[in-house]
Amino acid sequence: MKFINKKIIELDRELSDLDKFTIDFIDILKKHTNYVIVSGYVAILLGRARASEDVDIIIPRINLLTFKKIYNDVKKNNFYCLNAEKEKTIYSYLEDNLAVRFAKKDTMIPNIEMKWIKNNFDKIALENYIDVKIKNKSLRISHLELQIAFKENVLKSPKDLEDADHIKQVAKEYLDKKLIQKYKEMLHGFY
Amino acid sequence: MGFIEENEKERKSFVHKWAEYVRTHSDREWSKQQNMIINSALKSANMTREQFFKMKGETNYVKY
Repeated sequence: MKFINKKIIELDRELSDLDKFTIDFIDILKKHTNYVIVSGYVAILLGRARASEDVDIIIPRINLLTFKKIYNDVKKNNFYCLNAEKEKTIYSYLEDNLAVRFAKKDTMIPNIEMKWIKNNFDKIALENYIDVKIKNKSLRISHLELQIAFKENVLKSPKDLEDADHIKQVAKEYLDKKLIQKYKEMLHGFY
Repeated sequence: MGFIEENEKERKSFVHKWAEYVRTHSDREWSKQQNMIINSALKSANMTREQFFKMKGETNYVKY
């Protein structure tokens, strides 16, 4: 794991089934919109010893036409939406700030949990990303400092605290501790 | 120390040891071991759509 700079991490890892699934979906999604991966899969991609049933992705608010293009493209590539079949129904969930999930046909797990940007922290995550270069592919993850602050100050479950611990250990020579504190102060009282 | 505290302490210790292993070994080495956990967990995951949404506490889905 090489922290090249603030924007790039290089990984020479063997791909897990979860990585392959995520890369397959992102390869489609990134043709149509900006995105960032947040939460558990960030820690897992960086080596955390656990699995996850879903991969959380934030995208900007998109219009129905763009959504239709994404939906047609994912369906063409053997994905389906767990929530509903009709594109207008799925789009209405996004409009209500709810997550929609996509999995490979005839499966339930793993799945992508995709939602629209809904507050300033999602905006920070979307704008301040790290490209993880992996096997000639690239996955865009949120700033590690924001992930740590969010997991430690908002989510706080044992799993999330362990994810934060893992990221702090593997990236300890790279992390900006003042930025973690700044994010924590920003998060205080927001959630 | 009670069972819960003891369990938490052990988990924390494992997380730290594993993270140190990840930091000090090649990506290929740690990922081979990590993949055993991930791939087997995904293979054994088996639930219905309704069970999955119930587990997640989500109700925004069409009931077929």
